[in-house]
Amino acid sequence: MKVKKRLFEIFGPILFAALLMFAVFLSPTWIKFSYVSPKVQRNAAASLSPLILKGQLIKRSALENNYVPFFGSSEWSRFDPFHPSVLATKYHRSYRPFLLGARGSQSLTQFFVMQSINQQMKNKKAVFFVSPQWFVPMGEDPNAFSFYYSPLQTTTWIQQEKGSKMDRYAAYRLLQMPSGDSDKIISGTLARIAAGLKPTSFQMLYVNYRHRVLLNEDQIYSRFRIPVNNAKKIADNAAELPKTYHFQQLDKLAGQLGAQHTNSNRFQIGNRFWNRRLKHHVKALKGFQSNMSFLKSPEYGDFQLVLNQFAKDHTNVLFIIPPVNQRWQKYTGLSSEMLKQFDQKITYQLRSQGFNHIDDLSQDGNVNYFMTDTIHPGWRGWLKMDQEINPFLTKKQKAPHYRIDKSFYSKEWQQAGSDFDYDGYRNDGR
Amino acid sequence: MRWYIPYGNPTYFIWLAVALIPLMIGLLYGRRFRWYQTVVSLFFLILTFGGPNWRTGIALICYFVYQVLLVSAYFHYRRRKDSPNKGWVFVLSVILAIPPLVVVKVTPAIQSGKQSIIGFLGISYITFKVVQTIMETRDGFIKEYHPIIFAQFLLFFPTISSGPIDRYRRFVSDYEAVPAQKDYLDLVQTGVRYIFLGFLYKFVLAYYFGSVLMPQMQFGAMMAHGFSWYIIGYMYTYSMDLFFDFAGYSLFAVGISYFMGIKTPMNFNHPFKSKNIKDFWNRWHMTLSFWFRDYIFMRLVFFMMKHKVFKSRITTANVCYIINMLIMGFWHGETWFYILYGLLHGCALVVNDTWLRYKKKHQDKIPHNKFTELFAIFITFNFVCFTFLIFSGFLNTLFFGPSKF
Repeated sequence: MKVKKRLFEIFGPILFAALLMFAVFLSPTWIKFSYVSPKVQRNAAASLSPLILKGQLIKRSALENNYVPFFGSSEWSRFDPFHPSVLATKYHRSYRPFLLGARGSQSLTQFFVMQSINQQMKNKKAVFFVSPQWFVPMGEDPNAFSFYYSPLQTTTWIQQEKGSKMDRYAAYRLLQMPSGDSDKIISGTLARIAAGLKPTSFQMLYVNYRHRVLLNEDQIYSRFRIPVNNAKKIADNAAELPKTYHFQQLDKLAGQLGAQHTNSNRFQIGNRFWNRRLKHHVKALKGFQSNMSFLKSPEYGDFQLVLNQFAKDHTNVLFIIPPVNQRWQKYTGLSSEMLKQFDQKITYQLRSQGFNHIDDLSQDGNVNYFMTDTIHPGWRGWLKMDQEINPFLTKKQKAPHYRIDKSFYSKEWQQAGSDFDYDGYRNDGR
Repeated sequence: MRWYIPYGNPTYFIWLAVALIPLMIGLLYGRRFRWYQTVVSLFFLILTFGGPNWRTGIALICYFVYQVLLVSAYFHYRRRKDSPNKGWVFVLSVILAIPPLVVVKVTPAIQSGKQSIIGFLGISYITFKVVQTIMETRDGFIKEYHPIIFAQFLLFFPTISSGPIDRYRRFVSDYEAVPAQKDYLDLVQTGVRYIFLGFLYKFVLAYYFGSVLMPQMQFGAMMAHGFSWYIIGYMYTYSMDLFFDFAGYSLFAVGISYFMGIKTPMNFNHPFKSKNIKDFWNRWHMTLSFWFRDYIFMRLVFFMMKHKVFKSRITTANVCYIINMLIMGFWHGETWFYILYGLLHGCALVVNDTWLRYKKKHQDKIPHNKFTELFAIFITFNFVCFTFLIFSGFLNTLFFGPSKF
């Protein structure tokens, strides 16, 4: 009897703690505590943190207010006075950008990010920044994907999936990433979805259990972990702008600031970036991009996932296609012919399915102080973008009519090169 | 099947709990299921050295067979009634025990960071155990030796990857006995406490210092050119990470040993409370520093005294401190920062001894009170953190690393 008592004294607290843990993380009541303060929303909107990308609660509550999702990648971290977040703050726009994406986040990551905010995107607007550099032969880097991978978004998506072409393709792509294999039961579920089968009831039981735990973790912790806070950066940059918005005046200022910040090199690349990353290697970089092509890539299929999800959510999207710094492009030998073909291909994928809001800047690579470095827009580039973003988001837009074409998931489309017959494809592809 | 670094993640503990329950019930009722313990040990060794790590598993088996043969041979030599106990046989045995470790430590230095194929997780700690057993056999302290029990000792899985370093005689007496029920319950209770303290250390504090704070410091220091306050920040966060990670790991190893009725010695005893550097080495990675004390420092001192290498005992001790700590530095790895780390600690021990002698002589003039004690703790702590900064190799990356493209 005494032994039993001792054993209970030793192991009782552990059992009790385990029970408590299950009770906490499986409890359905956490869903009710969804208040996120405006300050946290504001900080999160410009934090560019992977935690925000992977989470759910904060994005949802911000997008239910006046925040608009700005999907993209590394360009959002190029803050200057003309950055969309700065302009929106300074000129008290009716919208505020919620920046989604950082270095290496591409279409597949964004597709899963969208799973956490589908309800908030229904019949709303969004901005999507398409980088040509995503469309490399290997597509999204598996390590980058892992870095932004959110099990919560995966379970959310599995709970909603209907076995459509989009769902099957997403499962297939996820299985090609190491993240898709990180949980054996989930990866079994994905294999069934990719094969067009329904998950087994055991798999769904497990997915629901994981979903509950992950969701509660997000509900409990996400408010307290926004590591990077760019509020000061935005305020400092806004202070450099004049009180009233006047395009010519701002454009002049953008040119001046650009000139000031790029005076160390002949490529109009920002001084910091130049000194830190390029100066010492510039000789070795001559001609290094001459064989690069953005025409054949699995990214086109992943991009189709994004378009398909937008169409499902009836989201009205403005796509931005940026240029490449032309001085740098010429020096490194990146083919302008190829860039033109990339533009043609991506525009075709958009327009032929009814995505007609496209801010195509691909021809602006030679405009002075348009780019802040080799591939990211800066001063005048941001400002020109604003000429599209602002009216698109502040004025009423006609509801879009999307016509999703499954053939954009095909290998044939992903690998379509410069000799591709667009007219013939549409007719056969249906 | 998944593969685990010992105590690396929570799932490993679930495996442990399940596997140990039968053994613990046996011990509670006065029986040690030795065959079961062996099976469990093998299972956990396979978890660590199998799968993608199978090459290290092969290396472990070869190394292990070699060392068991070596120790058995030496013991056989010593056990004979008329054993001449020749010095050269002993020295040869010790020398034969060390080459695998030397190869593993030297390979990265001469092959630009590549790991040796004969290496495996924990090779140092097994080598320490082997050398220790040979030395005690030479001294005649080990009177009974059984290859199977020696094998159990070498491959005791809770401590295989990073210690604590147990002693053969101590291990055998635990292994061969079964603790009384009351004592065993006390052991289990302490074990539970250690393991949960380990959770706090390793999965909360070490995570916070090592995975949350440290990368920020690292990034800040890398971005600033030359010296920056981030380096100081890095110094403290690295020190905290090092302590909580290793102390947490050691608590797990000791706690699990207790569950198995083996009283593996503790490795840490509030090291940052140390009042001087000698005190520090009595509290930090204790099983390692005691090993160095007993089998390197003391033996060096005896050797030098016997052969009258130096006239003064003080000089002898000082030289031995420096050699002892330098060997520890070399043991960590053949890089300038490990060696400098050892050298600094050697010098610190010399300075410390000199100061203590001076202080003793001038007791009347040098104050000793709560404040001076706090001051001593402060100095010791900061000196230790500084040497850890060197030990971390971060200065190497910072100043001599590849340029940050």
